[in-house]
Amino acid sequence: MDRGLLLLALLTIGLTWIVIQQSIAAGPPVAEIYHGDTMLASYRLPESGQPPIYFEAEGDLGLSEIIMDADGVRMAASPCSSQRCVLSGTHHHAGDLIACVPNKILIIIRGSRDDRYDAVVE
Amino acid sequence: MVQMLMRPPLAELESKAIWLALLMLAIGLHVFEAALPSLGPWFKPGLANLITLLALVWMGPRSALLLTVFRVIVGSFFIGTMFTPTFVISLAGGTVSALVMIASWRALPGISLVGVSLLGALAHMTAQFITVESLFIHQPALYYALPPLLLLSCITGWINGALAGYIAARLRHDSFK
Repeated sequence: MDRGLLLLALLTIGLTWIVIQQSIAAGPPVAEIYHGDTMLASYRLPESGQPPIYFEAEGDLGLSEIIMDADGVRMAASPCSSQRCVLSGTHHHAGDLIACVPNKILIIIRGSRDDRYDAVVE
Repeated sequence: MVQMLMRPPLAELESKAIWLALLMLAIGLHVFEAALPSLGPWFKPGLANLITLLALVWMGPRSALLLTVFRVIVGSFFIGTMFTPTFVISLAGGTVSALVMIASWRALPGISLVGVSLLGALAHMTAQFITVESLFIHQPALYYALPPLLLLSCITGWINGALAGYIAARLRHDSFK
């Protein structure tokens, strides 16, 4: 009974994860920044050598400072008390997210760096 | 008119003492988990849930549900998150998880504590995401992060269930020595 439940759970979760990854991993890596259900901005993550992008997102508590560079996207500063969003560090995988619940700011990454080339020929 | 104070039956006092001891243990684990480094948004190993499982086995559904609610309230007081979004998320996750564990323990024949714990862990994580999406962030894209965290919940749920089963069996064995 328990093993059956575990198997069913793993299969369902695994398949859902694959479907989600297929739908969001296509295209170049883009960071989407939301306040609640409103999209504030969408930036393509800079390539190596390109200058970083700074963005200030106005949330319920104040401004959240977001930095996007060749390493990925991170929350540099936040007015929330827990600072969990800042401490979560840099994210760059498709589907990764940074959520600041008190300030109602969400950053989600769509696309992947692996998708930069249409084909590789030797 | 002087009313005589009746001493409660010993069995009732013992039951209340065990429940309070379990509550203290659950609060301690709740505070300990809050100090651990985060593996992901709203992800914790669920050690305090182990105590809910033991309360469910030893004392029944009502005690288990009450223990979860009191653990979140008192635990949040100690870690300073009372009435913050973290408190709401924790209370929603804990309550839904306890209800799912109670329902599965009663309704699914042949299920062990491992299966109950697994379902509780999955319900806990899902309820937290639904709470965040519906009350705070209002962005369905949030659910993209749910599958990997559910996979981690499967692992921690299984381990906690095995631990709870071992503790329950061991204490039952020792109490008959």
